[in-house]
Amino acid sequence: MMPGVTIWRCTGCNAALFPERLLCPHCHGARFENERVHEATVEEISVIRHMLGQENWQPRRIANVRVTDDLCMTVGLLDESGPGARIVLFQEGEAPYGRAK
Amino acid sequence: MFQNAAIVGVGQSAYVRRPEPGQSTQTFMRDAVAAALADATMDACDIQGLAVASLSLAPDTAVDLAWKLGLSLRWLMQDSNGGSSAMNMLGHALRAVEASAAETVLVLGGDATGLAGYAKVAANFNTVTQKHLAPLGHGGPNGVYALVASRQMKRYGLEKFDYGHIAIAQRAWAAKNPFAVYRAPLTMEEYLAAPLVADPLSRYDCVPVVAGAQAVIVARPDRAPKGRPGVRVRAHRASFNYDNQAGDGLQTGIATFAAELWREAGVGPDDINVASIYDDYPTMVLAQANDLGLVPGNDLARFCRVTVAERKLPLNTWGGMLSAGQPGGPAGGLNGISEAVLQLQHRAGERQVANARLAAVTGYGMTMYRYGGTAAAAILERAE
Repeated sequence: MMPGVTIWRCTGCNAALFPERLLCPHCHGARFENERVHEATVEEISVIRHMLGQENWQPRRIANVRVTDDLCMTVGLLDESGPGARIVLFQEGEAPYGRAK
Repeated sequence: MFQNAAIVGVGQSAYVRRPEPGQSTQTFMRDAVAAALADATMDACDIQGLAVASLSLAPDTAVDLAWKLGLSLRWLMQDSNGGSSAMNMLGHALRAVEASAAETVLVLGGDATGLAGYAKVAANFNTVTQKHLAPLGHGGPNGVYALVASRQMKRYGLEKFDYGHIAIAQRAWAAKNPFAVYRAPLTMEEYLAAPLVADPLSRYDCVPVVAGAQAVIVARPDRAPKGRPGVRVRAHRASFNYDNQAGDGLQTGIATFAAELWREAGVGPDDINVASIYDDYPTMVLAQANDLGLVPGNDLARFCRVTVAERKLPLNTWGGMLSAGQPGGPAGGLNGISEAVLQLQHRAGERQVANARLAAVTGYGMTMYRYGGTAAAAILERAE
């Protein structure tokens, strides 16, 4: 897993975006710069205990995390971190994960 | 107000948990079309327009379906807005009839994905889901709305049992609907003891996937079968990508147009006799009802504990998708419209709401990333 998660920063208005957009939803600019974010705060968690169409499913944890004041994302939680916890972010492929600092 | 267009017929197929060999999305659709035509006392050759939505029609498209149904048309559309497809298609159909693009439009939805097929749809819902959510094992919409439900509980001081009131009340309605797949009474003890699916959502918070189809027919009001009132639409509004997924999902696109909807309808939330609120999850029933103004003071807890639990508002009177089953979002949404029509025509049998005259109907769907991005609502009226 790579440390950090790639987000997109609008060069026109500085808005932080995830997932990637074609135009900035705020200023409709078309230019973005990649940025790596490394930490977030857990806001809500869920344990996925059942997956349609899957047998022998092992429960997994996901979380809504706040990355900046105006940006949240959904991550896979790799430990027992709960709401309010500060976590570090990782990326596998294009999927974001987190675990306690 | 749509003066020259009304809903004049409704029909549905059987709903089944698992399709038998030989049953497919298109055979369920055929059954729903046949039922709607019979209900409207029309022949297939009377139909001039077709609107269709399905998660499992591909590689066929709307025109293939028209061909297989023997419909030669002058108006055709295919919708891809999931849980708000039904409401979206209804709006287009009404406007098509009003504008004389077609005199009669068949609005159709259906799916027979099976459980494994639905899991595939959920994991490949859009590119964002494929890239950023499915690899996490996010559980499809169950995982997404589990996080929304947690936010809603925190924001509005809701307890788990509050959602139970919705599931239980709808199950009581489902007991009176012969098409519902789950009709046995549900108690709060059973609701609270049900296994968790995606915390805090448990079994009865998640729509059961079924196979089936629904159809409604929109036409000039004078095409309604003799002796039966048509159902007019006093107002219809829709919203798409209302907040760029930058919010918390506790408000839906309905909030962007609710005031305008009621103003155009010329009635208010207190005038509504029956409501079909799109119920993929009880959480989203509450969010939509709140946006629509059906929850005084935004007091969601009181709405659950009093309005729903004490049956003060007849809500999802066919049992909703939570008990009747969800044959894909498009047909599930059409079921809410069909039920409102039956209620307003006083044809809902054992579940008839006395003197029903006005109904509110919503659709909500397309879980783009953190919550749904499409929503629509309409106010339906019995045309005396």
